[in-house]
Amino acid sequence: MNLIREIWQSIVRRDPLSTDKGKSELVFLNVWLHIHPAKVKKENLRFRYTFYLGFITFFLFMILVTTGIALMCYYRPFPPQAYQDMKDLQFVVFMGPFLRSMHRWAAHAMVVCVFLHMCRVFYSGSYKKPRQFNWVIGVLLLLLTLGLSFTGYLLPWDQLAYWAITVGTNIGSYAPLVGGQVRELLLGGHTVGEAALIRFYVLHVAVLPSLMILLTVVHFWRIRKDGGLSRPTWRLKPSRPEALVTIGAPPETAPLKTVPASKDKTYGLMEVVTGKPIFETITPEEEEDAVFSYPYAFFREAIALMVTVTGIMAISLFFHAPLEALANPAKTPNPAKAPWYFLGLQELVSHSALLGGVVAPALMVLALLAIPYFDRNPSRRPSDRKWAIWLFTIFVVVNLVLIVIGTFFRGPGWAFVPPWVHVVAGAE
Amino acid sequence: MGRRLPQIFFALSMLALALIVAAVWQASTPSWKNYQHSFLQLEAQEEPNAVTKAAVLATPPQIHQTLLPGLQRVDRCTTCHLGVDDPTMKNAPEPFRYHAGLGPHIPSKFGCTICHGGQGLATDKDDAHGKVQFWDTPLLSKDYIRASCGRCHKEGDVPGVPELTEGRRLFETQGCRGCHKLNGVGGSIGPDLTEEGASHRSPDWLERHFLAPNVVSAGSAMPNFHFDREQARALTYYMLSLTNEEMGSYYSSVRLIPSPEYGRQLFVAKDCIVCHAIGGTGAKAGPDLLGVTKRHSPEWLDEQLVNPQLVYPGSSMPEYDLETNARKALVAFMSSATAQDAQNILAHRGNALTPADVAIEAGKRDFARFGCAGCHGTELQGGVPNPNAQGGQVPSLLHVSDDYTKDEVIEIIRNGKVPPLDKASGPTPPLYMPSWKHLLSDEDIHQLVDFLWSKQEKAKDAW
Amino acid sequence: MNRRDFFSWGTAGMVALGSGVAVSLGAVVRFLVPSVFYEPPQTFKIGNPADFPFGPPTFLADEKIFVFRDREKGFAVASAVCTHLGCTVGYFQSDQRFHCPCHGSVFAANGAVQHGPAPKALNWFEVTMTRDGQLRVDKDKVVPSNYRLMV
Repeated sequence: MNLIREIWQSIVRRDPLSTDKGKSELVFLNVWLHIHPAKVKKENLRFRYTFYLGFITFFLFMILVTTGIALMCYYRPFPPQAYQDMKDLQFVVFMGPFLRSMHRWAAHAMVVCVFLHMCRVFYSGSYKKPRQFNWVIGVLLLLLTLGLSFTGYLLPWDQLAYWAITVGTNIGSYAPLVGGQVRELLLGGHTVGEAALIRFYVLHVAVLPSLMILLTVVHFWRIRKDGGLSRPTWRLKPSRPEALVTIGAPPETAPLKTVPASKDKTYGLMEVVTGKPIFETITPEEEEDAVFSYPYAFFREAIALMVTVTGIMAISLFFHAPLEALANPAKTPNPAKAPWYFLGLQELVSHSALLGGVVAPALMVLALLAIPYFDRNPSRRPSDRKWAIWLFTIFVVVNLVLIVIGTFFRGPGWAFVPPWVHVVAGAE
Repeated sequence: MGRRLPQIFFALSMLALALIVAAVWQASTPSWKNYQHSFLQLEAQEEPNAVTKAAVLATPPQIHQTLLPGLQRVDRCTTCHLGVDDPTMKNAPEPFRYHAGLGPHIPSKFGCTICHGGQGLATDKDDAHGKVQFWDTPLLSKDYIRASCGRCHKEGDVPGVPELTEGRRLFETQGCRGCHKLNGVGGSIGPDLTEEGASHRSPDWLERHFLAPNVVSAGSAMPNFHFDREQARALTYYMLSLTNEEMGSYYSSVRLIPSPEYGRQLFVAKDCIVCHAIGGTGAKAGPDLLGVTKRHSPEWLDEQLVNPQLVYPGSSMPEYDLETNARKALVAFMSSATAQDAQNILAHRGNALTPADVAIEAGKRDFARFGCAGCHGTELQGGVPNPNAQGGQVPSLLHVSDDYTKDEVIEIIRNGKVPPLDKASGPTPPLYMPSWKHLLSDEDIHQLVDFLWSKQEKAKDAW
Repeated sequence: MNRRDFFSWGTAGMVALGSGVAVSLGAVVRFLVPSVFYEPPQTFKIGNPADFPFGPPTFLADEKIFVFRDREKGFAVASAVCTHLGCTVGYFQSDQRFHCPCHGSVFAANGAVQHGPAPKALNWFEVTMTRDGQLRVDKDKVVPSNYRLMV
């Protein structure tokens, strides 16, 4: 009926998607989608270029927020009840084990994907001018991801949680001058107790997610302002001279104005006050260079979303998140291990508290932050960047090896015990 | 964009739909629902007609939980164990069988796990029975469930659980406190046993440990006391009962069973026989107490004990400041007391002890209570292996008067003895005579030495 | 590929996705419904019939109910919670009515509102006999005021 069409059109105020205009309007008249350009460069859509890692990381974050809010309905962040609530989630709440597992596996996956995303951005040299600061924001997002994972790790209040955080905060306390005080601030006391739990909870559900969202918004915004994702321009057809955009409605009428093309395809208000639509005059090569976001980009994003969601769901159906015994400050498991992403640090700390706990991680973070400013080579071509690629690869491999050692090769007392050797259980 | 992308999108969307349906199905079919369905079928069989049968079968599945804030737990066992309070289910197959013999311990007030162990929060079989990793209080086997009575009923006898009484008695007389602390009193050579029941819940391990400590705990300094099977079991019961239960006021107020034996001890302690007789034996100042519970209600008797003046103004019966359970125990004793009991009580009272005898009795009591018997033997015979002592054994005390004066022994007890030989291969911690001046007053130590001297065997050849 | 094909796969994908979302929403609603309650239970046993006298009702304070026992007709259980704002009403044998101390509502012996701000009658709850001979009250089952359990 006409009424239904009227209601629909009052909500969806664009031309039909069958028209080019409609496809464009779907993007820039929609508050959720208008971070995208109406058209994207074809190369940016290639799977092997980005592996969609940025999107996957973001989708994992969305999964974490939704499952996290759901779990908040059944979780009380106070020591005796917290563990009981974990048991309730496991045994009594409808889809409790499934949601909790989704939350945990998505968290682990997000740490992995944000790291892989960083590697991809490095290897494609996409941190170079003008994208240097976006890399810095990315490193901050990486630290926030680790922080969210760390604060969330304590919440189940089981032996795994309690001792991992004890070890983790002890490593942090090695920082000179402020280490001890920062640890006390974090814990709200001298040891991990009920004050620590509520503080970690507040950090985990309010403070860190807010910061994460704020920085993510800036991160996406800057990608648009930088003209979209970087492209391997040396592989493309020779770049054309600076394009011009005509404002007005060619070819019938004379253009009102001609301005240089804006790389982010955003035009100031003064350019639209004439009330006439803007048409970019683009060359045929460019015509095939860029495709409409709808459907080309959106379907790929949707597929990335589906792969992420179904992947996490499938894992969660078959592998449930672990829950050990109730946290017992009097009984230290041997060995007591930090969460896996900090095991590399714990391995370093076992050799030297200062070097491993303070110097190495500080240097790592500072080095990461400095990369775009240190790297004076303007080329993004791999053949021009051999040193950079080698250094970074070594950095990645060293980190992985440390984590692997910490995870699989360290047994009771942090003794070096290869995983294929069986350790005889000690006497009671 | 070809057909491929939308096809992939479609396939993934179908996969997502399948997975969410699978997740919902997984959440909707927990095993407890099957048990409830089987139980409803059992119940429906009892129903007389098809209408009531259908009504029973239509009962929606639901998790049953017993909230026990006073016992700090939540038990969901009755989600599957649905016939626990239904006498018609006496012969039903488990898990539906009726639980007979509960007495006052009804499930709605006590739950299940306080006696049986297990994980009350769980709703599937293996987790609920606690037979999983990371849950260290699994179900107790039938042989040991009665040990749980001692978790609340910590004083007095527990009817039906003689093992607990025997276990307590063995603990106090065999000198366990010499090496182990219990509730703050005892030695530090062995681990503190105050919460042994909470940390060591494997009855099997405990029993084997009592029978052969060194086999179960390699390198342990605990000597083999050569307990027999029954004694080991009694001690195991006692160990299992050593937990720190945080109980709400209801539970702590009813846990002392008003046993006649406890009443008898109170009767003796308060010296009631000085004024009252039982069946003619005793004193005549107050009424004869034989059969008094048949003549008066429990409330009347209770009031009599609280406020004798109220019932008999001008009575010379003093007001005894007894708490509820003590009064109940006295009344319980009076319901079964006979003239013979009065006779026994009088006989014991008759033994007027000299001050010296009193000292020796006190010393004897302390010798057992503080665990000296654990190393020096209940008959003072010594003989417990001690690699750190001269002769490799804890010395016998039967000839101590030959080598030491009383004052010297007092000094030894007060200050202890540093091990004379330091053998690296000896047990850790090294066995030694501890210093007792922090635990025993000088008077206590004098009494101990008096007791020792009363036990001396004269040497065959005097020097 | 022509537009028709595109719409069929893409649209079918959207439909599947939509169904997935619908199922998820249903699951979310079910997730939010609590499966267990950390409160005193709605269904509970109150003891043996022999424990309850005839005549004036027995008031059970924790469960907030009145247990009536009639010689001819049997047991009935009434709620002691005033339907106005939740205060606990009292039953007065002298006028055989329930009086609420908070705002003066008065209920007849069958629970009907006679006076005062209460909007509805007092609830009567189902009382049944269990297999071990005890009376069980189910506060989730409201019954008409003439419901009796004949013992």
